[in-house]
Amino acid sequence: MSTPVIFDPMTLPSDDNVNSYTFCVELKGSRWFLQKGKMIAYYGQIRFDGIGHGRFDRLVRSSFHSPLHASDWVVAEGSGKMLLADRAFDVNSFDLEDGNLTIRSGNLLAFDPSLALKQSIVPGFVTLIGTGKFVAASNGPVVFMEPPLRVDPQALVGWADCPSPCHHYDHGYMTGVMGGIRSLTGIGGSSGEEHQFEFVGAGTVLLQSSEALMAEQAAGVVPNEPGVPGGGGQHGATPRMPGQLGDLQRRFGL
Amino acid sequence: MFRLQGSKTLAVDLTGDAVKAKNGSMVAYDGRMTFKKLSGGGEGLRGMVTRRLTGEQMTVMEVSGQGTCYFADRASEINLVALHGDTLHVEASNLLATDAGLRTGTTFTGLRGGASGNGLFTTTVEGTGQAAIMSDGAAVLLRVSPQYPLTVDPGAYIAHQGRLQQHFQAGVNFRTLMGEGSGEAFQIRFEGDGLVYVQPSERNTVGGDV
Repeated sequence: MSTPVIFDPMTLPSDDNVNSYTFCVELKGSRWFLQKGKMIAYYGQIRFDGIGHGRFDRLVRSSFHSPLHASDWVVAEGSGKMLLADRAFDVNSFDLEDGNLTIRSGNLLAFDPSLALKQSIVPGFVTLIGTGKFVAASNGPVVFMEPPLRVDPQALVGWADCPSPCHHYDHGYMTGVMGGIRSLTGIGGSSGEEHQFEFVGAGTVLLQSSEALMAEQAAGVVPNEPGVPGGGGQHGATPRMPGQLGDLQRRFGL
Repeated sequence: MFRLQGSKTLAVDLTGDAVKAKNGSMVAYDGRMTFKKLSGGGEGLRGMVTRRLTGEQMTVMEVSGQGTCYFADRASEINLVALHGDTLHVEASNLLATDAGLRTGTTFTGLRGGASGNGLFTTTVEGTGQAAIMSDGAAVLLRVSPQYPLTVDPGAYIAHQGRLQQHFQAGVNFRTLMGEGSGEAFQIRFEGDGLVYVQPSERNTVGGDV
């Protein structure tokens, strides 16, 4: 029987992984942002307070710019070592150096306040800008890829240094009336891979090695302003399927 | 002898002796084995009644024979615990197997149990021998000493051993009621001398969203 490793505050790593599912953050009178409920244990004196706490006014002003996610995040403050984990997903820390990284909001566990969190224009994603460390969770280890490439929507974790993300549909297979029926019903063999995200440009794309997603948290909607993607009420009723006849009134310019 | 076959399967070598394991957790064996369901976890009539009353139910079987028997449960990670006359406190749902010589029982945990979503009672394992406990993801073993108390999220706690006192901390205040909670309102603080097992995943608890 191999003796299990026993950790105490001296032997716990500082700002590093304890095992592939657990990350240890050392606080020395400093502060970290973390997603609600991801702390599993800590040594020392650490307080957890909601973002809206008055004392964090300056901190929030400089490094938290997403009112939609404010209720999912807390600030840990004090000194000691704290362990973070999320549903036994793999966790990893990444260092940004004067860079930017966009990540699915549910996958981000914690970040150093020297980074600034902003909401991405792409709905459901947030962007980290600046220099510092952050911790992200993924189902299975993270794979780094260089654009140009197309990825499965469920496997995408995020992207760094701003390649251009766009939707890609395999129209060759899915156009025409038969294609419409195929994609709606699956009869005639839809592979479930006709829709991908395409990345072009310079940068890095982060993928997880499974297609299990973190549960999306309802975070509200961005303000309903002209030009804001995903803002407010949806215009137009249902999205049109390939092969479907266009709205007649639009054809006639009405 | 308990040993791990990978991290998710427990292999027990038996030479005519017996082991107690969670009912239905055998996945394979070689040699000759007999499986016998132990009503009330082998704790006698009194233990049976206590478990029924406390809701800390566990169905246990006794496996005896010659050879190797393999146990696993829902691909949970398995951790081996060696006991030398001390007591292991573990949630019944996390206990996979114990040496037949170890005594199991139930104790009252107080408010901590209520918050961890596992009822107000917990299972104790005492004696000398080995036990196997399960966790969702590889467990982290943390030492508690008088100068370094440890605070744990109730949803991530699975077991502890040694001389530990636990205090239940509730940090519910007016901000929580306004939806400005920290998500960490309920915590268990361990003081004394011993070891605590935490898993890298949180059960759904009453306190999880507060």
